[in-house]
Amino acid sequence: MSRPISTRSSLESVFKGWPPPVLDPAGPYAGSISVLSWVLFAMAVVVLGVVLAALGVALFGGQRLKSRLGGQAVIWLGGIALPIVVLTALLVYGLSLTRNLGTPAPPGAMRVQVTGEMWWWRVAYLDSSGKVALWDANELHIPVGETVVLELRSADVIHSFWVPRLSGKLDMIPGRVNLMKIKADKPGSYGGQCAEYCGGPHALMGFVVVAHEPAEFRRIMADRQAALASKPPSGGRGEQLFASAGCAACHRIAGTPFNGMAGPDLTHVGTRRTLGAGILPNNRGTLMGWIGNAQAIKPGNRMPPYSVLPADDIRDLALYLEQQR
Amino acid sequence: MPEANAARGRKVMARVGCASCHTIPGIAWPQGQVGPALQGFAAGNLISGQLPNRPDVLAAYVRNAPEVLPGTTMPAMPISEREARDVAAYLYTLEP
Amino acid sequence: MTSETGFDPELYKRFPVREDRPEGELEELERLWEQPKGWARLTIVNNNYVGLWYVAAAFLFFLLAGILALVMRVQLALPLQGILPQETYNQFFTMHGTVMMFLFAVPMMEALGVMLLPQMLAARDLPFPRLSAYAFWAYFVGGISFFASLFVGLAPNGGWFMYPPLTGKAFSPGINADFWLLGIGFIEISAIAGAIEIIVGVLRTRAPNMTLDKMPIFAWGMLVFASMIIIAFPAVIMCTLFLELERAFNWPFFDPTRGGDPLLWQHLFWFFGHPEVYIIFLPAAALVSMMIPALARTTLIGHDLIVLAFLATAFISFGVWSHHMFATGMPRLSVGFFAAASMAVSVPAGIQVFSWIATFASGKPRHNTPTLFVLGGLVIFVMGGLTGVMVAMVPFDWQVHDTYFIVAHLHYVLIGGALFPVFAVFYYWIGMTSSRPLSERLGKWTFWLMFVGVHVTFLPMHITGFMGMPRRVYTYLPGGDLTFTNFLSTVGAFVLAAGVLLFLVDLARNFRFTVNKGAGNTYGGGTLEWLPTGLYSARSIPVVKSRYPLWDDPDISRDVEEGRYFLPGAPTGNRETLITSPVRAEPQYVQIMPGPSVWPLFSAVGTAGFFLLLTIEAYIPSFASGILAVLCVLRWMWDTDRVAAAEEVDVGAGIMLPTYVTGRSTHGWWAMVILLIVVFMLFLMTLFSYLYLFGVQPDFWQEPPALSTGFVALGLYGAAAGFAWLGRRLLAREKSTLWSPSTASIVGALLLLPALIADYWSVSAVLDPVMSGQGAVAHAFLANQMMLVLIAALMALYLGARTARNLVIRPRNNTVDLVTLFVVYTAVQGSASALIIRLVSGAG
Repeated sequence: MSRPISTRSSLESVFKGWPPPVLDPAGPYAGSISVLSWVLFAMAVVVLGVVLAALGVALFGGQRLKSRLGGQAVIWLGGIALPIVVLTALLVYGLSLTRNLGTPAPPGAMRVQVTGEMWWWRVAYLDSSGKVALWDANELHIPVGETVVLELRSADVIHSFWVPRLSGKLDMIPGRVNLMKIKADKPGSYGGQCAEYCGGPHALMGFVVVAHEPAEFRRIMADRQAALASKPPSGGRGEQLFASAGCAACHRIAGTPFNGMAGPDLTHVGTRRTLGAGILPNNRGTLMGWIGNAQAIKPGNRMPPYSVLPADDIRDLALYLEQQR
Repeated sequence: MPEANAARGRKVMARVGCASCHTIPGIAWPQGQVGPALQGFAAGNLISGQLPNRPDVLAAYVRNAPEVLPGTTMPAMPISEREARDVAAYLYTLEP
Repeated sequence: MTSETGFDPELYKRFPVREDRPEGELEELERLWEQPKGWARLTIVNNNYVGLWYVAAAFLFFLLAGILALVMRVQLALPLQGILPQETYNQFFTMHGTVMMFLFAVPMMEALGVMLLPQMLAARDLPFPRLSAYAFWAYFVGGISFFASLFVGLAPNGGWFMYPPLTGKAFSPGINADFWLLGIGFIEISAIAGAIEIIVGVLRTRAPNMTLDKMPIFAWGMLVFASMIIIAFPAVIMCTLFLELERAFNWPFFDPTRGGDPLLWQHLFWFFGHPEVYIIFLPAAALVSMMIPALARTTLIGHDLIVLAFLATAFISFGVWSHHMFATGMPRLSVGFFAAASMAVSVPAGIQVFSWIATFASGKPRHNTPTLFVLGGLVIFVMGGLTGVMVAMVPFDWQVHDTYFIVAHLHYVLIGGALFPVFAVFYYWIGMTSSRPLSERLGKWTFWLMFVGVHVTFLPMHITGFMGMPRRVYTYLPGGDLTFTNFLSTVGAFVLAAGVLLFLVDLARNFRFTVNKGAGNTYGGGTLEWLPTGLYSARSIPVVKSRYPLWDDPDISRDVEEGRYFLPGAPTGNRETLITSPVRAEPQYVQIMPGPSVWPLFSAVGTAGFFLLLTIEAYIPSFASGILAVLCVLRWMWDTDRVAAAEEVDVGAGIMLPTYVTGRSTHGWWAMVILLIVVFMLFLMTLFSYLYLFGVQPDFWQEPPALSTGFVALGLYGAAAGFAWLGRRLLAREKSTLWSPSTASIVGALLLLPALIADYWSVSAVLDPVMSGQGAVAHAFLANQMMLVLIAALMALYLGARTARNLVIRPRNNTVDLVTLFVVYTAVQGSASALIIRLVSGAG
């Protein structure tokens, strides 16, 4: 009880800016776009160079060069032929380069439902029959080297799911299901966030994808399944507080009577990398801060402040949640 | 604590999220309200109202408060002993 | 040489006439165009004044929105700062985008049109001066009140494209969103009023013989600009109306659980929103094409290609709206189509860029402030265009969409494509409206500060976006590397602001307003706006023989000033201008123009009051205000459509032109037809919505009322059209008394009402507007129709009043013509919507 818990991964490694995640892909679906980005960038630099050179000649060039440039032919060449050739080449090359994005996922690929909510993400791992096998929130575990299909939905307003190192973004639209493929080539944590303005604390709506070696991934999932079947009551003070403070109205912990579905599922909250939808590191201290006054941390989110609870109640709740693994 | 570095300490505090409970000068966000605000910490005489405000005690306390002061609500934090000294050094820069 | 109207082009050879004009003619002209002084200045409707106010107001909104941007940049300079709280930040970015797009960019282009067009066409004024005044006042009063919502924390906070469901009642219960929906819907009405004015102005008030191919390129730009407004703006009016109806009456246009669809908003909004970018860019590009010949001292190379490029841009821009929706999960085939179309739009842009380069190369460019702004704008625009090509590549867009990369891209395009040209315009044309030019020395400083500022601000934003920062975030987390580029952007924003501040200093030191003693043609332009002018604009209206008349005919300024061309005086004793034919600009008749009036101002205040009071749910004052507005409009109309004493007058060199004309060639008829196109676009957007929901939400589609239930409505609509037409016919027959033709017209207009009621009665028996998207859109058809029917009824009353006062002249009369046109159109549209509601069947 008195030993410090460890952080498996610091937040910084997940939400690092440099190298730019768009250009530092970790899987094939982001990889082809990254190559495309470089090609487009090179095109832009070359065309800009041509325009600037022409402009330079027009302004400062010798009379001979200037008179060559000063006719209708230049418009046909630079204004019509150049864009048509460059753009056609780009379109053909770009679309063939990113062909892999359009291919259907292999049959039997793992499927996960991710639902955008104001301002967090509901995650549901589906079994082969399409039923929900495990609930989670704000964090997605995937096996390395396998294509995973995400069913993107929204529970309220339009959100957009974006984990730049794994894929481009795709909107989550009420009344629709959008399918996205992701695949990670190596283990690691990949940060993402909501990319469509969704009001209030949209800026603080993050997400983490954790890729594991396939064997380890299956072990984690199997452990979780097993734990569901037999979650022993802790009998501790934290569990009683969870009931008496009303946490269970919104939060669910599988294997217990706590069954609220309005907020994030807390069954495995102790294993998460982050708190508050990808914004805080997850440890006892931050859990206490979040429980005590989430509004001071993420203004406008739906979790009310529990400033009325005495500090040792908050501590015991945090200790209880930390055990939900 | 000659080798402790206050600047490094501030980064450690930002990384592990001390500010989710404490409002800490120099850390813009979050500004948690569960624990006491730490402005002017350097001028205080006691840690948590009970322990003498000495560097070695403070370093031990920020790392594993329940061990140093059983019954405290401040939890143990995931930092190394060296990081704890840096944190303590930063806290001593917080003049009123 | 053939003729368009029967006018003999040989007559042009009489100009310039030799003999001097009679004494006192000029004084008479000056007396007629004298503007009121003191508080009565508010009643001025002349374009020299209204145009400048318009430009000044648009610039004021630019400054205000710029200040918002600066505060936001301070907030984002470092991670997790608390300078702007979340909610305030969300209001700030919404207002920044909205104000820049709707209150600065589009109005600025319209304002420059109002100010420059009549001069370039050598018209005395725009054809509907009171309409320009109304458009200006509605925009100004509405815009200021809209902006003020920020000070009371009620500003909209849903982003400038206001996607539902976030902006629906459930997630935005406050009146903030209503401010946007009603405020913007209303400012669009002002923009449409201006567009009608501009189209008629360009096509009907050009100087004689200024055929389309001799028309200045800015007139082309404005013609395409205004036509695009006519087509595009109804889409945004319709979707704001839908959202407001959803918020107020719970009609589920965008609610997927009741057969609506949030993407319907996006389709409608971007059908407007993408052309909007070109609506802003085209006039600015046209102004650049006007300035470059003067700055490079040569004619524009590729004039015809540029005109083609305008038309191509307009055409393509209506086919690319979906490229804002690549990340919504569209079908792959349509993604490919929209990607190709989005790239295609860069061809016309390329034509213009290389035309400008070629023109510079063939001339002798001078190093002065407008040249710098033109060149700087060109470079910035090309960079924005290139990132535009990048995002047209769909998979790339999936990464950078809604990130700071897009923020950088759109600012490059708009700053290079519109803002820098506008600053060049300020320096270039200031001599028309100020007795002193702006300072070249300060101007160069302004340019360099702004140019450097733009790059320091927006170049790093490309990287910020690549590093994963989405747009519209009030803060970002520390620990990553976003701080550096964000800080740089903030520094750049202040450099840019310093440039704008210096420009204000320049304005304060050198701008001295004048209409007739301007500093003049500082840069040696060759087009008609640099003719010597008085309060009445050009003394006489020249025969145009080339694209650069001032360069090609060195005597033209003197001849114009001495009245040796058309309309050197005021033959009817009123303010007048010459109406010419649309293609060859052959003189057709003398239009008598209305003078100063307070009614446009009052009706604009009334209109603004109607919408704003509606926002704060003060219904009774709101409707009172609306009625006031209508009465003021009618009062201002009352003075129009009068007959002058002389049926024909000598417009110079013995050429006689009529002073009262009816039928299809009148400027009033043209304006009404354009207005009906706007109304038709509103109808078309409703039709699109109906079919769209039919396509995407078939499960919610219920069996519509049977076709037979519409027969009563169809019959009544038919009768309404018949009576209206009969009224116009009877007017021409000498035997009938004056009242019976008007009675027929009025009966026709009033028959529309029972027709609508019959339609509503049978539709609402089956479809409920609250139950399904289908019901909501069906009722939107009816609401649309109700608006037309009410206007028709109002027109009927107006016609009755004019008949009673003996203002309806025979055999033909413009008021009767226009009422007939409107009533017949309303009957046709009513029949069409009655049929559509019943024919789109769920069984299909």
